[in-house]
Order: sequence, then C-alpha cells, then structure tokens
Amino acid sequence: MSGTRPQVGEVLARTAAILAVGLLLCLVALPLLSLLVKLPPAELWRRLREPMVLSALRLSAVTSLGATVAVVVLGLPVAFLLATKEFRGKRVIETMVELPIVLPPTVAGVGLLLAFGRSGLAGGALQALGITLPFTTLAVVVAQVFVSVPFFVSSAAAGFASVDRRYLDAAATLRAPPAYRFFRVSLPLALPSVLAGAAMSWARALGEFGATITFAGNLLGRTQTMPLAVYTALQTDVDAAVALSVLLVILSFTVLFGLRLAPWASIARIRR
Amino acid sequence: MGFEAAVSKRFGDFTLEAALTLAGAETLVIVGESGAGKTTLLRLVAGLERPDRGRIAVNAAVLCDRASGIDEPPWRRPVGYVSQDYALFPHLTVFENVAFGLRAVRRPSREVRDRVARALERMQISDLAARRPRELSGGQQQRAALARALVLEPELLLLDEPLSALDLRTRQSVRGELRRLLAELTCMTVYVTHQPVEAMVFGDRIAAMEAGAVTQVGTRDDLLRHPRSSYVAAFLGVNLFRGRIVERANGVARLRSAEGDLSIVDPGGEGEGEAFAVINPREIALFRESPRGSAQNCFAGTVAELIPEPPHGERVRVALHTNPPLVAEVTDQAVVSLGLREGMEVYASFKATGIEVFR
Repeated sequence: MSGTRPQVGEVLARTAAILAVGLLLCLVALPLLSLLVKLPPAELWRRLREPMVLSALRLSAVTSLGATVAVVVLGLPVAFLLATKEFRGKRVIETMVELPIVLPPTVAGVGLLLAFGRSGLAGGALQALGITLPFTTLAVVVAQVFVSVPFFVSSAAAGFASVDRRYLDAAATLRAPPAYRFFRVSLPLALPSVLAGAAMSWARALGEFGATITFAGNLLGRTQTMPLAVYTALQTDVDAAVALSVLLVILSFTVLFGLRLAPWASIARIRR
Repeated sequence: MGFEAAVSKRFGDFTLEAALTLAGAETLVIVGESGAGKTTLLRLVAGLERPDRGRIAVNAAVLCDRASGIDEPPWRRPVGYVSQDYALFPHLTVFENVAFGLRAVRRPSREVRDRVARALERMQISDLAARRPRELSGGQQQRAALARALVLEPELLLLDEPLSALDLRTRQSVRGELRRLLAELTCMTVYVTHQPVEAMVFGDRIAAMEAGAVTQVGTRDDLLRHPRSSYVAAFLGVNLFRGRIVERANGVARLRSAEGDLSIVDPGGEGEGEAFAVINPREIALFRESPRGSAQNCFAGTVAELIPEPPHGERVRVALHTNPPLVAEVTDQAVVSLGLREGMEVYASFKATGIEVFR
C-alpha cells in the first residue's frame, strides 16, 4: 500500500510539471517561432532594406542609444545615493523610480504630454527656452528614458549595495576622498550590475511603444521607431512588419542571452 | 609630540571610554576579549567612526577635537590602517593596490612607480606585483596590505588583529617577520589582538581593554608585577620567555632563552625554531629548602619584592632574583607559613607541564 501510493503521486506530479512546462513553452515560443518561419531569409533581407524599415531602424538606434546614455548619466548618482545613504523619503523615491515598470506606457505618455506639452506644466518654461518637445525625436528619447530608467537604477543600486563596506573604509584610510573612492572602488566593483542595468534599459528603450506614440506621435523618420513601424506596417504591409519583428526578437534575445554569457557575469560570481 | 587619544562613544548600552598615549616609534598593543571595543577604538582613531566626546592628536596635528569642532576625515589623517581581513581591492593587482593611496594624492607616476617598487621589495613581494589578491596566500595578502599602508609613510600605523586571518602554520612564520618589521618601523604602531601571548610578544607597552575601558597600561613587567584586574592577572601578568628549543628527549625539551634554560613539554614540530614559554605565576611553588620531587624546573634565588595582588588582596605576587627571573603568586597564608620577606633565599619550582609553549 505504502509502496504504490507515493508512486502514483510521483507520476501525477511529474505529468503536471511536464504539462506546465510544455504549455508555457508553447505560449512563449510558438509566437516567436511563427515570426521566424514566416519569411524566407532572402525575403526578410529584402524587406529590411525598404525605406520605411531603414528609417525606423536608424531612428531606433539613435534614440535608444541616446536614451541609454541619458539613463546612465542621470541614473548613476541616483542609484549610488539609494544604495549607500539613508535619508527621509528614501522609500518614496525608490517607489517613484520603480513605478514606470508597472505603469501602462500610455499613462506615461499622457503624463509626459501634460508635463512637457505646449500647455503642460513645464511646457511654458521649455517654450521660453525655444524647446518644443511633443512630436519631436527628442520626445522619443524622453519617453524612452522615462520607461527604461527603473531597469538601470535598480540593477546599478543593487550593484553598489553589494560593494563591501570594508573596501570603502580601506580606501578612505588610503588618502582617497569620496569622489576618488566612487570612481576607483565603488564603480569598478559594481560594474557588472551597472553594465547589466544599462543593457536591460537599452533593450527596454528599443522596445518602447505606448509612451512614444502618445507623447511623440508616429511620424515617419522623426518619431516612428521600430515598434511603431511594426504597428503601422501591419495595416498595409504585413511582411515588412514581420521582418522588423524578427529583427527586434533577435536583438532582444541577444541582449538577454549576452547578459548571461558576459565575461563580467562570471567575474561577479567568482568575487562572491 | 607622539600620539594622544582620549575618546568616548556610546552604542546602545555599550560605552567605550579610553585614553591612550604613545611617545616615540614604539608599539602599543591593545589586548582584550572580543567585544571589548578594540576595533572600535582603532576606527575612531582612523576617523572611520566619530567619537561622542574626546580628542585625538598625532604629533603636531589635532585630528579630532569634539569640543572645538575639529574632525578630520580619514583621508586627511596621517594614519595607516590595516584591517583584520586586509581588505585588498579585489579588482586591482597587488601593484595597483599598493599604488592606490599615492595615486589618490596625485603623486607623479614616476614617484608612484619607485615608491611602490620599494614597498614591494621591502615586504619581499616584488614577484607578486601583477597578481590579484585572490591569487595570494594569507601571508602574502598581509604583506601586500602592510605595503599598501606603509607606502604612504603614516605617522601612526593601526593594525587590527593582523595574524587572526591566518592559519596556524602561517601564523607562526609570519609572527617572526612581523615582529622584525615592527621593530624596524620609524612610525608609532598600535596593534590590536585578543591573544595575550601575541600582546606580550609584540608590545613595548600593553594596554588591557575590558568592556569598553582601558583597565591598565604598562610594560610586560608592570603587568606581571602589578596586575590591576583579574583579567590582567590571569592572562597578561605571566612570566614569558623567548628562546630556542635546543634539546629533545622522551617528550621533554629544553628551551634556551637569554635569561636561562627551562624544561618544557616537547611541543612537537621540527627543528629548533623559536618558541615562547608562558608560566603562570600560580604554577610556581616556593620552598625554603631545595625540594625533592617531580618538578623539572627548580631555581634558587632571593625574594626581590612582595606585592599584594588586588582586587582580591588574598594573594601575593613574589618577584624573585632567579636565573631566569620569575614572578610567583602565592596565598597570604603561604607568605606567613614560609615567612617570606625581601632578600630571603628561596627555591622556585614548577613542572614542565605547567608551562604553556607557543611557537
């Protein structure tokens, strides 16, 4: 009796696990696979050279890289402060920085429009400086920064927080003032997390759609990035949409897979 | 001139209250059990913690004076600090670790190269310059950490339990090297340890620390003759001899020190290396006549001094003119029954098993 029951339970559990894994794989892998097999490679290559696709590609490259630079420059001090200092309202700031992860991007877009639009809260000030944001390439970058900054800040902050206090103390007694300590000790030791955060935030910026179309519109060559071009092409030229989608899948996969294989990922493991 | 610190700091219900002074290029060892506040005291001196009250001065410079609002940050203090686990930067080579402080104060690169090379050579780790800390043994890491601190020519060097991260075997060989190095140093050194023997071996002067307070500061001889707390009496106020093992037979060895020979239990190991013998004064029995019995160590001499031992006052320390010189501890009753007084001839005897041997 006691010999058979656990076996039945065992078999049931195993079947359920296999089913779950299979179903989830289908759900995630099947759409990806469908994209990959839709067009023969030659056709894919031809579609990728269409003017609309090329212009979206160029725009996406420029804006996502620009956004990533801005995210790193603005996010590094924030991440360092959040990781190393205690101050009033820290929890609130942490939550605000994380909020864009869960916020619908369209909500972000509306918010950006109400803040930096012509009649927005800061719109007047911007206009006085001769800057009009909405429906410009710069607006695309701003939207991408908004949605991608949390990925960088949380990863970099985790990196800074994991730097052992002993090294900073040692550096302080070796005549190193705070700025020197940051660049020579904190940053190098947190580098794996900082780079991973930058890569994640770049991938997120590259895929950004909702906030962009709301705040920056869908103007060919100016604000129509790859995700927007996919959406537009779908209504007229399905094959072009597929070609762009395949490219996005490959890029995103490469970034995530690369993060797992990167040499500094293994360095980080050794150090712990 | 010299080093002066009188500081206090509270953490919850623990209060640290300590005063220390150092004159020349001597080594002061702070010894106490873990939790006594030794590391905190070093961190206060290094500037890594801020005292609630007090003043810290090194030579002409006042580093901290809470009353007048002076509090130099650690990077502006002429103080070197080597922490218990050395804290070598894992992302930098040994060379870059040692160069770190010189680069932080923007010394020209030629000077950096020369001074680092000299520091590595002095610590005999020139061949390890290109290695990362994780590729070094414990003893090598310690030398790299010392080189990194010393290359900045600190006026005061703080060493926090420098031997405790090493395994027993390494510790024995490193201890000798470290003692030679400290003797050569021209800076003042404060050395923290929880090992009484280490304190006695390294300290020109020894400060006993108990529950956040320095209970006694003095030379080894002061602590032996006039222990002022039961901790000092039990662990620091002991007879210590440094010597070499010159003979071994049947589990008994002969330790030859500058002051005389002792029979000790053979500590094993090989060769005739350096060893330390510690004899607790309570292990030494005193007799008016030459004793006959199993005690392997017996020395004749005169009573030099009788010192009642506080805080109990029921025991008396007896300093003897013997070869080697010894301090014994006996009860009040023994003093009366033996009729002990200064200048009197006595025999001091103790068994080889009553000697603790450290190598």
